[in-house]
Amino acid sequence: MSSTGGYDRHITIFSPEGRLYQVEYAFKAIRLAGVTTIGVRGSDSVCVVTQKKVTDKLIVPSTVTSMFRITNTIGCCLTGRRSDMLLIVQRLRHVAQEFEFKYGFVIPVSYLSQRIGDLSQLRTQYAFQRPAALSIVLFGIDEEYGPQLFRCDPAGYQVGYKALCTGQKEQEGTNSLEKKIKQKSDLTTKETIELAISTLQRVLNTDFKPDEIEVSLVTTENPKFKVLQDLEVEEILNEIAENEF
Amino acid sequence: MSGIGTGYDLYPTTFSPDGRIFQVEYAHKAVENSSTAIGLCCKDGVVFGVEKIILSKMLVEGTNRRVFSVGEHIGIATAGLTADGRRIVQNARQEAKNYENFTSDIIPIHVLTERLSIYVQVFTLYNYIRPFGCSLMIGSYDEEKGPSLYCIEPDSVALGFYGCAIGKGKQEAKTEISKLKLSEMTCKDAVKEIAKILIKTVHDETKEKEMELEMSWVCKETKGKHKLVPKKLIEEAVEWVKGQENEED
Repeated sequence: MSSTGGYDRHITIFSPEGRLYQVEYAFKAIRLAGVTTIGVRGSDSVCVVTQKKVTDKLIVPSTVTSMFRITNTIGCCLTGRRSDMLLIVQRLRHVAQEFEFKYGFVIPVSYLSQRIGDLSQLRTQYAFQRPAALSIVLFGIDEEYGPQLFRCDPAGYQVGYKALCTGQKEQEGTNSLEKKIKQKSDLTTKETIELAISTLQRVLNTDFKPDEIEVSLVTTENPKFKVLQDLEVEEILNEIAENEF
Repeated sequence: MSGIGTGYDLYPTTFSPDGRIFQVEYAHKAVENSSTAIGLCCKDGVVFGVEKIILSKMLVEGTNRRVFSVGEHIGIATAGLTADGRRIVQNARQEAKNYENFTSDIIPIHVLTERLSIYVQVFTLYNYIRPFGCSLMIGSYDEEKGPSLYCIEPDSVALGFYGCAIGKGKQEAKTEISKLKLSEMTCKDAVKEIAKILIKTVHDETKEKEMELEMSWVCKETKGKHKLVPKKLIEEAVEWVKGQENEED
């Protein structure tokens, strides 16, 4: 494109205004996937919800997943280019296991997020590589700090959140969550799940069926990472629908 | 039109302004130039069928294979650049062997699929190598878990399928496949249905030369081993397809 004047072809080239266009295009690639993810951290739980889009009825739905287990108590939700997902998951698992082997305790979510952030930054500096077009949401219950929710983006920027929205409807979701969290930020488990799912429904203007979303929940009582089954999701969706009347 | 990528389409490491990677999309086009391959996940196994265009009468039938075995229990069908497909199969065989040496157990299909997906992905990350220009269908049958069919595309996305088609005629083939009741179909019936789709729907007799059918299966009948479908069954299937044509006339 002539407006960028050829400064956007390679990752190692700054534009005259000091922008790295290739990194910005990687962000665009996340939105291209057309999926929105919402994560909410309560006072003793973390809930992450993502859209599940099965484009063809010949596809086996259970193989289309964006939620991955990194350790028993740390989960990861990836939004963006599906092809980059498996490699990032493998890297996260490797970093987590190496830490546990070396130090004898489970890697804190914040440190895992830092490590993957640093690795993502490296990919923005070498000309022979490209950034992963993924928004990496890491979540889990930390022994010391309690519920944790972190996000790492293609630029290598990573930070912890009380609630986040990423993907196609990032702006709308974030605005919606900001209003709610301002009113009340220490949420019970039930409130956490309901906020996450109802925000996603509101932002996308749809009422979901259980097989259109993937919900993952970790609580201090039950810190083991798991993706909720269709029946459990259906119960929650029904409750939300009732509350809205 | 998929969009002009001029200037952004030279390396797999370059994103276009709307966030696409054109080199990987072009790799998909390489697959679309090749002849069609179909995989069906039936109730008692997985059947593959490949439409092989006979380029010359001098070519020996049954050579230039597009379907391969990995270990004894997994079959892989390729579409796209055959040589690229062979490289991935070679890697798959290595993975299967390593897994067996390490765990003394045969590699489960979902583990192999994930490893191959990562292998394919790595080739889309650097500017000094090119993505693979082929799609693979991976199938296996297990006594407990039943049949499984996966498809890996050049962008490394690996999904499970009930029925899948790759190559030139994939759209028409997929339309026909979605009409079939795969969960109730046996492998023997699938052989006939695949022959029908490849001969009637996908292969254009006026435009292209003759075709050869290469079919393989891994099912209850073969006791979970991946084998070529017996020639007799293929001939019967072709006869059946011709019979169907005559009925319709």
